[in-house]
Amino acid sequence: MTAPQDDLENPPFSAYDAAKGLNIMHKVYINSLGKFLPGEPVKNSEIDDYLGNQQYQSKNKALVLRQNRIKTRHYALDKNGQSLYSNAEMAAKAIRDAIEHSEISLSQVSFLASSTSLGDVLLPGLAAHIQAELGIGPLEIASLQSVCASSLMAMKNAYLQIKCGEHALAAVSGSEFSSRYLKASVYELTDIYRETGEIPIESDFLRYTLSDGAGAAILENKPNQHGLSLEIKWIDLKSYAHQFDICMVSGRSKDKKYWGDHPNAAICEQRSALVLTQDYFSLKKMIPIWISHGLDTLDRYDYKADDLDYFCSHYSSNSLKLDTLALMQKTAAYVPEEKWFSNLSTRGNTGAASIFIILEELFNSGKLQKGQKVMCHVPESGRCTNALMLLEVV
Amino acid sequence: MKEKNKNYVLRQLFKIWIDFDNQLNHIPMIKRLLGGKFRLEDYQRWLLNHRQQVIEGGRWIALAASSITHEYTELRSKFIQHAATEHRDYLMLEHNYLSLGGKAEEIQHYPKNIGTEALSAYMFHQASQPNPFQLLGAMFIIEGLGQRKAGEWGLLIQQQLKLKTDQVSFLLYHSKNDGDHLAEFEATLDTGILSIDNMADQIVKTARVVAKLYQLQLEEMS
Repeated sequence: MTAPQDDLENPPFSAYDAAKGLNIMHKVYINSLGKFLPGEPVKNSEIDDYLGNQQYQSKNKALVLRQNRIKTRHYALDKNGQSLYSNAEMAAKAIRDAIEHSEISLSQVSFLASSTSLGDVLLPGLAAHIQAELGIGPLEIASLQSVCASSLMAMKNAYLQIKCGEHALAAVSGSEFSSRYLKASVYELTDIYRETGEIPIESDFLRYTLSDGAGAAILENKPNQHGLSLEIKWIDLKSYAHQFDICMVSGRSKDKKYWGDHPNAAICEQRSALVLTQDYFSLKKMIPIWISHGLDTLDRYDYKADDLDYFCSHYSSNSLKLDTLALMQKTAAYVPEEKWFSNLSTRGNTGAASIFIILEELFNSGKLQKGQKVMCHVPESGRCTNALMLLEVV
Repeated sequence: MKEKNKNYVLRQLFKIWIDFDNQLNHIPMIKRLLGGKFRLEDYQRWLLNHRQQVIEGGRWIALAASSITHEYTELRSKFIQHAATEHRDYLMLEHNYLSLGGKAEEIQHYPKNIGTEALSAYMFHQASQPNPFQLLGAMFIIEGLGQRKAGEWGLLIQQQLKLKTDQVSFLLYHSKNDGDHLAEFEATLDTGILSIDNMADQIVKTARVVAKLYQLQLEEMS
């Protein structure tokens, strides 16, 4: 059955419409973005005060900070290592901030998708706790858990829900409380720290890279009536886990034993099974794969890198080697430096929250103009995933 | 219809290359090399197997040159030069094998493995077609191995087996000698061959087939 033309202009929604046989695909718009960054910006010289490192002098700190170029970040901890917020609270605050900037009210949200690397509890999923914090419902929820790319997994979920007419309005969040797992006290009980007096580089590297925060987006099947919206043209995510071993992990010790396979929590701690680690060499091997995925989307979606106005990447262009840049130029996949937009250096690397926090700053900056194209890029080293999302300002 | 220009072809070739490069790391012998567990027997078997393909390489380029018609004389010159520089390379490889204590008789009569058989048969068939510029796709993969992998592998082999430079010279030589490969490749794509019907797709397909057969050749060595 074909829907009448006026239905396309002012589309119906809900499962009820679908059940009536209305087979309509809707356009999907990001109409508002919000963020929550806990506490005051923390300078490089103050990191150790928050992570409880006063006794511990890291050998890697200067190098890591020089490489990631982060100047300030936020922690949901105070200087005594006490948590000021939960992960779910931060996500809820970011959603409320997005609602503040929107033309809708919180109670209209009928679908909530969350993304994070690690929620407050092992189970149930984070979205339920965010919903409880917001105090709205009943509604449909989805908890997406991975690392950075869980952000676009959640976004894609909400995008499809609206596109197919199942929902008209969705909230999507990305939130992280990494510092909880980066505190010096987490490492002090491990065998390796007791033996060597040092935190291994595969963990120490992350301690000076990751920080806390939340971002959120409100998605609708129609654009804002006042001001700009971002139409989602497509979201493409590919995982290459069939070709890669684990690169970034928490919950597995070096002897490849899973945390639950240790006899008890104390031994788990000693064996560093709950410590967050990243294999830097494996990470370097993933970069060509991410680029290959990017090249592939150029042909599949038939767009030109030259036509992009902003490239919002949860990745830094200064990590790309010269031969990689040359490769991208030769294949017409290169986006010049001046089009890259990021706030990692002032907001920190907040994992699944980063792309929301980057996009929030761009969207609310007043820089965007109708017709501009914005590409969002989220690579994930966990087990090699790459995700791209193309937006058009309308 | 989408224009299949030089950028398009390079994009497809790089995608195939990146996938191929990644697949190589899963071949048992390469895995051992990267993991520091490579034995002298592995290297000897590599040389024994590889010689057959290197000899055939010089031959199919020469055959391809003779299949190029007069409209593309410049390109024929390039193919002939290419064949001339490569057709004696296998002697260096033989020398590496002999320097490890191997017997000339053995390496000179070693049979082609299944992957080499398939790769050679395919290459000779392609090279015998008129104006077989699709072979540029094959060259992209095979020269890519020389430029991007041979040096890395050669150094790892040298370190792990504590060999002298003249015992791994074939692998090390190729990484040094293929310097301007990409610029030259681009220039070749600019000579007008992409306006030949279907040529862009054929170059890409040939690269894909060659990558797969080359992978098979290495797997068979393992």
